[in-house]
Amino acid sequence: MVNVTKGVLVECDPAMKQFLLHLDEKNALGRKFVIQDLDDTHLFISSDIIEILQTRIDDLMDKLSFPLAEK
Amino acid sequence: MGKRDKRDKEERKAKKAKREEIEYEEEDTQDVNVKDGVPESATRHAEELEQAAEDEFGAKDFRKSLELKPDHASRPLFIGPNGHIFLESFSPVYKHAHDFLIAISEPVCRPEHIHEYKLTPYSLYAAVSVGLQTTDIIEYLRRLCKTSLPDGIIEFIKLCTLSYGKVKLVLKHNRYYVESQYPEVLQKLLKDPVIQDCRKRDEMDEAGDDQFIAGEVSGTTGENGEPVPDDIHDFYTKIDNEEEDEDEAQLKTVSFEVKQENIETIQKRCIELEYPLLAEYDFRNDTINPDINMDLKPSTVLRPYQEKSLRKMFGNGRARSGVIVLPCGAGKTLVGVTAACTVRKRCLALATSGVAVEQWRSQFKMWSTIDDNLICRFTSDAKDKPMGCSVCISTYSMLAHSTKRSWEAEKMMEWLQSQEWGIMLLDEVQTIPAKMFRRVLTIVNAHCKLGLTATLVREDDKIADLNFLIGPKLYEANWMELQNNGFIAKVQCAEVWCPMTPEFYREYLQMKSMKKLLLYAMNPNKFQACQFLIRYHERRNDKIIVFADNVFALKHYAITLNKPYLYGPTSQGERLQILQNFQHNPKVNTIFVSKVADTSFDLPEANVLIQISAHGGSRRQEAQRLGRILRAKKGAVAEEYNAFFYSLVSQDTMEMQYSLKRQRFLVNQGYSYKVITKLAGMDEEENICYRSKEDQVGLLQKVLAATDTDAEEEGVPGASGSGMVRRTGNMSSMSGADDALYMEYKKKSGNAHPLFKRFRR
Amino acid sequence: MAAAFTPRKLDCKDLHSYLKTLPSPVLDRLYNHPATCLAVFRELPDLGRQYVMRTLFVEQPVSQAVIGQWVNNKFINDHRYACKALTELRVWYEQPIPGGQPGWVLNQTFRNNTRVALLGGGKPWIGGRSTTVDKYAKDILFLDKYAQERWECVLHFMVGSSEGIEGVSRDIIEVLNNSGLMRVDATDPNPTITPAGFQFLLMDTASQVWYFMLQYLETVEHRGMDLVECLSFLFQLSFSTLGQDYTTDGMSESQLKFLQHLREFGLVYQRKRKSQRYYPTCLAINLASGLSNVSTGQEKTGFIIVETNYRVYAYTDSPLKIALLAIFCDMLYRFPTMVVCNLSRTSVREALIRGITAEQILNFLRSHAHPKMLADTPVLPPTITDQVRLWELERDRLKFNDGVLYSQFNSQADYELLSDYAKDLGVLVWENATKRVMVVTKSGHDDVKKFWKRQKNS
Repeated sequence: MVNVTKGVLVECDPAMKQFLLHLDEKNALGRKFVIQDLDDTHLFISSDIIEILQTRIDDLMDKLSFPLAEK
Repeated sequence: MGKRDKRDKEERKAKKAKREEIEYEEEDTQDVNVKDGVPESATRHAEELEQAAEDEFGAKDFRKSLELKPDHASRPLFIGPNGHIFLESFSPVYKHAHDFLIAISEPVCRPEHIHEYKLTPYSLYAAVSVGLQTTDIIEYLRRLCKTSLPDGIIEFIKLCTLSYGKVKLVLKHNRYYVESQYPEVLQKLLKDPVIQDCRKRDEMDEAGDDQFIAGEVSGTTGENGEPVPDDIHDFYTKIDNEEEDEDEAQLKTVSFEVKQENIETIQKRCIELEYPLLAEYDFRNDTINPDINMDLKPSTVLRPYQEKSLRKMFGNGRARSGVIVLPCGAGKTLVGVTAACTVRKRCLALATSGVAVEQWRSQFKMWSTIDDNLICRFTSDAKDKPMGCSVCISTYSMLAHSTKRSWEAEKMMEWLQSQEWGIMLLDEVQTIPAKMFRRVLTIVNAHCKLGLTATLVREDDKIADLNFLIGPKLYEANWMELQNNGFIAKVQCAEVWCPMTPEFYREYLQMKSMKKLLLYAMNPNKFQACQFLIRYHERRNDKIIVFADNVFALKHYAITLNKPYLYGPTSQGERLQILQNFQHNPKVNTIFVSKVADTSFDLPEANVLIQISAHGGSRRQEAQRLGRILRAKKGAVAEEYNAFFYSLVSQDTMEMQYSLKRQRFLVNQGYSYKVITKLAGMDEEENICYRSKEDQVGLLQKVLAATDTDAEEEGVPGASGSGMVRRTGNMSSMSGADDALYMEYKKKSGNAHPLFKRFRR
Repeated sequence: MAAAFTPRKLDCKDLHSYLKTLPSPVLDRLYNHPATCLAVFRELPDLGRQYVMRTLFVEQPVSQAVIGQWVNNKFINDHRYACKALTELRVWYEQPIPGGQPGWVLNQTFRNNTRVALLGGGKPWIGGRSTTVDKYAKDILFLDKYAQERWECVLHFMVGSSEGIEGVSRDIIEVLNNSGLMRVDATDPNPTITPAGFQFLLMDTASQVWYFMLQYLETVEHRGMDLVECLSFLFQLSFSTLGQDYTTDGMSESQLKFLQHLREFGLVYQRKRKSQRYYPTCLAINLASGLSNVSTGQEKTGFIIVETNYRVYAYTDSPLKIALLAIFCDMLYRFPTMVVCNLSRTSVREALIRGITAEQILNFLRSHAHPKMLADTPVLPPTITDQVRLWELERDRLKFNDGVLYSQFNSQADYELLSDYAKDLGVLVWENATKRVMVVTKSGHDDVKKFWKRQKNS
């Protein structure tokens, strides 16, 4: 017997993985999306979440940045 | 993206913003507060004058309003209708243009090739106050510009400068007067209810004294034999009744007295009415206050920029009040001492801490011929006897102290208040909360005020206040120029990115309190980077200071790495010992300090600075910290970097954003931060702490067990403006033993420094 | 899925890589022309040229072993590389020497025409010079300006600026659309630029022209023209002299049509369509050198200053250059001879999203750096180069790949069977043997599934 699931393999650094897990745990995207936690740098997630996830990551990065140049 | 999505996103953002626990409220005050207490012309910012259309790429298109000169290539600058000026540093006439632009505009950024300046009402006010005329400004700009001058700019300059310089604020006999050659101006001012309130009426009869009239007036008394009234009340009724007196009155200086406590209000109000008060002190003709026997030592040599800044101050033979901006380590104190030696009247120097008071004292002794006995320190634990002293050095908090003082201090304060000071030196003006500052200035009377600072940026208060409180900016040095000439160290700035370990990041994401700060300060990867950098630089025989605003982190790092540390509560004796060891003991090459060391400590040996936790996005703190290692290193003009500034930042946390915010000021001065994502050699380094998962988890447990109070930064007076002055005593106790005080009246000293002569003429 | 986040990088082939895509009969025909042979010869690796010279007059196969001995063992890699190039371009091919040892023999057509190109003789192979004097003779300055203007028209058209509308023919638009540099979508009658187009814009002119011509050559056969004739003419042009006029006498129908296209692109100047003479411009002359040693003589001195505080100042009033900067900069002010802009995270990210790479941005800034910048090494402030790259990396922190997760195997044997199979197919992207979990690519899933079913049934 073997179980087969379609989805998306995510490869990232450990901190980013924690961010994804955090979003998953807190239901921050409206639902769970992590199918399986593979290892420190890999997750298997459902594919229909990618778009919203991507914007969420962009949000995070936006928040961490600050325009250096004066206007 | 659909509308709904967008709204959702914004809502999400808003919610997130609310959850942002650690917020360092910061305003870009120059922009936010301009409307408050500023001349109308100032609110009419040059930017509003221009109505340039945008081109297809979203740029403001100035091409239509500017006509290119045929020989534009040989002229150094562009001026936009919005008051922004771009200067080519590679132009052959750069030097001339640069000196001029510094006088009339604010530097925005000065990297290598093209410098940006901006015309502001304040900068133009400053230009007028150092003696530039409206027509000169316009004409010279016209010549320097590659294109025709935008009409709006000409108008703007006229608007901001024509009315300036007509009214003066003068201190005579310990009383303040507003003085002008233009009666109609005073008349106009006096119609203003605010100014009326500031006016001191009850002592009008005394004020009717001849001395209030400047020399040129004496000949005009004639006609009806009345003494010429300075008192504006007289003048006022006169103007009201008789028009024929007007001609005559214009030759006179007229004045009215102002209540001392309202000085700031009136200064502010006058600026609003577009008649800013100039404060100049004709010290050479001041026969009332005794001269002080104090000159620069013959061995004292001023650097070109120090001389230049002083020339702005003493340009017309009088002493102008204002602010001189020099980077830390560039010798601000010497500028202050020279100014005092030039004025040669009683001098009051105010510093931020007891340690700084000691440093000022030793600098006075180092550069000038002043007799030790004539210097008096007034701090909580060093109260030299003031009688007969010529130079008094104290702290802002000491003077602004509002609760009960000891009898001794009370006496001292009375004495300070009763004196008419020739010059007041205000160190690190940018760090002082405006409230405290105001108190100080209303307590003590000085003919001339010189503010000294490294950065005119402040996140927490209005920088514009300095304009009313002290005076315009007289000079601002170019950091890169000083660096290239070897006057300050050549610093490599680096931002070291330390990835959060998964365990720490996990907690960080969930944490909703101040402890978030603790998590990114204690990030094991940051700890390792810090440890590695310390070892690396100790092997190079460098001297390293590690800064941590957070005391919990400070202690943990220092104790784990077995390095000495000092912070607010560290006792006086211990501080001295640590600092001395750092200076002289070859075995102590690294010390950990909290933010008490931001400004107060002069550590000339240090050439490496590692910052592991900082105060939010404060540009000022970043610049001040850099200043700790800026003092020029041996070997003068350096081809290579001779000092290092590392800012350790935990990746993916708010620290990243703060770090970028902090850098803005220095980046605009031409510094560049190298981002280091991986420290070469760190993986091979042995015995680095917190390598194993177990150790990291152990550290995490410690952090989680810490309280919210642990997560807070150390409170230091002046830093937050929240009146946390309780530690002043501790800090000033650094000052060491009291000096005995001898009262002795000086002998004549024959040494007059050539420069000193130059300023006195 | 993944493709949406990582636009493909524009692949610009050099001469060698282009020619090697052509079928060998076409190559053989191409070598009928001395100009082609010389152009190919010029582009060969150093050792390759050496081998050609040594065997040019040897009319029989040369033993591979012998040729191998011409080179010191240290340079065996260079040797292999050269041999491979010669083979791929059909400059030589394998033929056993008498006795059966493997040998190489030069392509006879190539041999003959290279001899002509190098030693002279035969018919003149550079286009015929006009025999009469041109009343409207043009000098090099004019030709350079003409070429640049023509070419900028194309670029203007691509960035959609108003200056580029007229003067861009349907042929050009067709090439742009066919090559994927631009795209027509249902909503807009005018083609819009694609990510590939943006990357194209940031290349230097010589590379642009070369890339454009390659795309054009793909279409010549649809246009009823002969590829070999066009190519030969192109190579012939590249050996002509700048400022000299040539006659159209003796050109074939295909070539005349081709000439008209070259005229549209700015590769040749012809006063009138029917004019009997033409002038090649620098664009054509620089062309055949492909990418390997591009002469950028016609590029103007640099005009961009990049400061450590992320400011970019560009001394130009060319709408095209400004449009190019606007691709990755926030534009602030426009003065008569200068524009002020900022490199910001947002502006760079927008460019990255459009498929432009950090390296392309930096390369553009570097190759147009103002003379004042050139005094510094490196030319661009390292903070800026680092930061632009970091902004790019930031977008790559997560990699998403469609895949299929296999878990809950009944036995270790089952797991190993399947994972080994997937590994052999090269479709296994992640596995953990102790947990008996593995991920295969989406495309590999079908095979693995079939294999599994077969195994179960057997």
